[in-house]
Amino acid sequence: MPSEPAPSTNEREFILAALRENTRLDGRALDAYRPISLTFGNDYGTADVRLGKTRVLAKISCEVATPYPDRKFDGIFTITTELSPLASPAFEVGRQDTPELLLSRLLEKTIRRSGALDTESLCLVAGQKCFHLRATLHVLDADGNLVDASCLALIAALLHFRRPDIEVHGEDVTVFDPREREPVCLTIQHRPFCVSFSYYHAGEVMVQDATLLEEQCREGEVVVSMNRFGEVAQVAKYGGPPVDGLSVLGCMSAALERVKGFDKMVTEKLKEDEKRRDAGGLMAELSAENERPVEGGDRVML
Amino acid sequence: MPLDSSSYSLAQFSTQAAADGSSYLEMGQTKIICTVNGPQESKRGGGSRDQSNAARIETDISIAGFSGVDRKRHGRGDKRTQEMQHTVSSAFSSTLFTHLFPHSTIAIAIHVLSQDGSLLAACLNAATLALVDAGVPMSDYVVACTTGSTASYASNDEEADPLLDLNGLEEQELPFLTVGTSGGEDKVNVLIMETRVQMGRLEAMISVGLDGCKQIRGILDDIVREHGKKALNSRVN
Repeated sequence: MPSEPAPSTNEREFILAALRENTRLDGRALDAYRPISLTFGNDYGTADVRLGKTRVLAKISCEVATPYPDRKFDGIFTITTELSPLASPAFEVGRQDTPELLLSRLLEKTIRRSGALDTESLCLVAGQKCFHLRATLHVLDADGNLVDASCLALIAALLHFRRPDIEVHGEDVTVFDPREREPVCLTIQHRPFCVSFSYYHAGEVMVQDATLLEEQCREGEVVVSMNRFGEVAQVAKYGGPPVDGLSVLGCMSAALERVKGFDKMVTEKLKEDEKRRDAGGLMAELSAENERPVEGGDRVML
Repeated sequence: MPLDSSSYSLAQFSTQAAADGSSYLEMGQTKIICTVNGPQESKRGGGSRDQSNAARIETDISIAGFSGVDRKRHGRGDKRTQEMQHTVSSAFSSTLFTHLFPHSTIAIAIHVLSQDGSLLAACLNAATLALVDAGVPMSDYVVACTTGSTASYASNDEEADPLLDLNGLEEQELPFLTVGTSGGEDKVNVLIMETRVQMGRLEAMISVGLDGCKQIRGILDDIVREHGKKALNSRVN
């Protein structure tokens, strides 16, 4: 089993001693993130997140499939995580080990179980046809904090994705080509983001956005997922040395601040991307949606 | 809210003669057998390659097909089970004195016979008992319980007390979390929550959970001491 070479004792001691004095190797504050860049691809539903040297690419695709017999009114949504040797020599192809297991479980809990995506809206004909939405995550470079980067990429990609427009007459479904009708957005009910905290010195020092080296030296981690309204989707602290109950609660409030920042950034980037695509006001022409009355204006009752 | 201690009366030691340590635990209708083997030479990959300077903790959870309401096969590859295995392993990694047993493995095997909520908590409690029975040195028990929040955020009822030790039906309906402690009263060792809940409610939930852990700790401690007394008496006579 290949694994990342462990940091030398000197290196570890140095990092731990520095952290005791609230200093990190790269000079960041303990609660600071590395510079984040979020870019969207030319296709709908691709998001590329860079967090320092960590880089994650999320791609959403969809196809028409048969729903699960026990969930007739729901579409199918699957999240696949790919940790390939491309990202780090510690990852092997097709072999599921703990980091990959935890990453996929955390994303599953954060996004799927918390109901971020309205899967009912993916249903076409109950029990017969639905959209199968696949989210694939490719980790291109791993330098710590894969969970936060992956979650950010996934949420951004879901918000960016457009599925083909459809028309249902009885049991006949017409799926329109993007050239015939402008694709439509997914129904996202809330936007949860993951924030992970690595702790050192029995929970006295909490660090956000740890690099790979810092992750190798840490005692344990606490991963919090929440949306900007303070709804916690998931909390995970898998063992490790015990920490104070209060510092766990401290993580929550720190996570809320961070999540608000993430949410704002994603909104801004999406707006930028929309502007870039909407050269010459083309979108308004292409949209098949009826104009909605402006908020605060007279409501038209149908 | 006091825990119904009668539901824990069925915690037994040394139920499996073949294992180094074993326990049987019932938390309500959740029933678990846990066996511990080790510290022993690693089976996987041969002992010669295991050059670590601390014992590795390997957990294996098998959930019986008949344990739930509907018969379901739980494969080993089930991600949820694997996550629980990882949680149990790492929860004990900080309390067991693994550094005393280099190049070796402590194998925890958990068999879930019946599940009705608080599964992870029951697994941790049963594993603690089995590890005590196996005589693995540890700094403290790992004890865990679940807490659920009754008042929905919408009703804005901040006064409502969180529930302690949920059963299967409650777990399906309410937001809940599993909290595990070791090494001190309000030290959180394990904290797993998978359901959506407003941030403001977590504080009450965690503190009630920690309080519950304290009670369970007392119950487990009584059982351990009782067993110790019995073992001593049988030696004397």
